[in-house]
Amino acid sequence: MLGISGAAFAHHSFAVYDHTKTVNVKGTVTKWQWSNPHAYLDIEVKEGGAVKHYILEGTSINMLQRTGWRSNMIKAGDEVKVVFSPLLNGDPAGLLLEITLANGEKKELPVPAANTFKRTPEKE
Amino acid sequence: MRTHRSLAMIAFFALVPVSGRAQSAANVPDITGSWERARDASIPAQGQPPLKPQYLKEYQAKLQSFREANQQGKPIADHVVMCLPDGMPGMMSGPFPLEILQSKGQVTIIEEAYTQVRRILLDREQKPIDEVEPGFYGRSVGHWDGSTLVVDTVGIKESVQYTNIPHSKDMRIKERISLGANGLLRDEITIEDASMLEKPWTFTFGYRRMQDYQLLEYICEDNREYADEKGVQQIRIEPAKK
Repeated sequence: MLGISGAAFAHHSFAVYDHTKTVNVKGTVTKWQWSNPHAYLDIEVKEGGAVKHYILEGTSINMLQRTGWRSNMIKAGDEVKVVFSPLLNGDPAGLLLEITLANGEKKELPVPAANTFKRTPEKE
Repeated sequence: MRTHRSLAMIAFFALVPVSGRAQSAANVPDITGSWERARDASIPAQGQPPLKPQYLKEYQAKLQSFREANQQGKPIADHVVMCLPDGMPGMMSGPFPLEILQSKGQVTIIEEAYTQVRRILLDREQKPIDEVEPGFYGRSVGHWDGSTLVVDTVGIKESVQYTNIPHSKDMRIKERISLGANGLLRDEITIEDASMLEKPWTFTFGYRRMQDYQLLEYICEDNREYADEKGVQQIRIEPAKK
C-alpha cells in the first residue's frame, strides 16, 4: 500500500487542475515547447472579439516519445483542437489531455491517471 | 592515512576467501541493459515506515498537510517542480527506465529521468559515513555474493527523502540485487537508520528487461511551474517567448 501511494508521490501533483470538467476549444499554436520535465503548448483562442492566450501543460517528452509522439508533430501556426483540464484558480492555463492535430489526427497524452479527469462533452 | 587505508584493505581482503571470490565471478549474471519497473516483481513495504514515534507523527502530519493542500488545489511544490532529481533510494523506484552497465570494478545505474547516475564500486571498502560528503546518491560499494550483487550506500543528504520519509545523516541503504529464473530483476532494499527508525525497513523493487530500448536524454530545462513564497506549486502565466 505504501509503495503504491509512494509512487503517486514520486510524480508531482496535478491538484492545481479541475478534475470535474474539461474545456474543448479550437486555437492557433504559438509555441510547442518540447522540454522536460513537461512539454507545453501555447495556443491563442478567439473568444468573442478578443484573443485569449492559453498555456497547456503536457507530460514529460520522454513519455511522449515512448508513446509515439515526435517534436515535429506540432508547430507554431497550426490550427488545433484541444481538450484540457482548466486551472482551478481561473488563470488561462490547463493540463492538456487530448489534441486534434492540424492534419486531423486525434491524440491522447499519456497523462498519469488520465481517467480521473471527468470529460465535459463537446458542444456541437 | 595511507598506511591506515592499506592496513584496512589488507584486513578487508583477508576476510574474503580467494577461492570464493573466483567462484562468485563465474556466477555473475549479465544484467547490463535497459530495465523498466515491474510491479509483479515488486514487494512494497508493508504498513507505515518503522519510524520512531515522534518522527512517525511528524511524517504523518506532513502527509496530511499535503493531502489537505491537494484538496484545496494548492499542492506543496515537490522536488520535481524544483527540477531536482530523486536521489537514493528514490531513483531505484524507476517510474522511468533504468540502464545498468557492468564494467571492470564498477556497476553503473542510470535512471532516465533527470539522467540520474549512481556508481557502485566493486570490492572496495566502505568509508565511515563522516568521511562521505552528503549528496543525492552517496557512496556505494558492492560485491557479488554468488549471483547476488550486495551493495552498501552511505552519505545521503537529509533533504533527499524517498516519498517524504525523513532520515538522518547516518542512514545506510543495503541492497541485494538479483536476477530471477523468470528473467525479472529484483532490488531488495533495506534502510538502516538507528537514530530515526525503530528497526530496519525493507521493500523490493522489481524490473523487467526492455529489449532494444536505449535510454533517452532528460534535462530539466524549463519548468513553467514554480514554488511561490509559501512553497505552493504555481504556473507561470505569461505567453512563451516565440
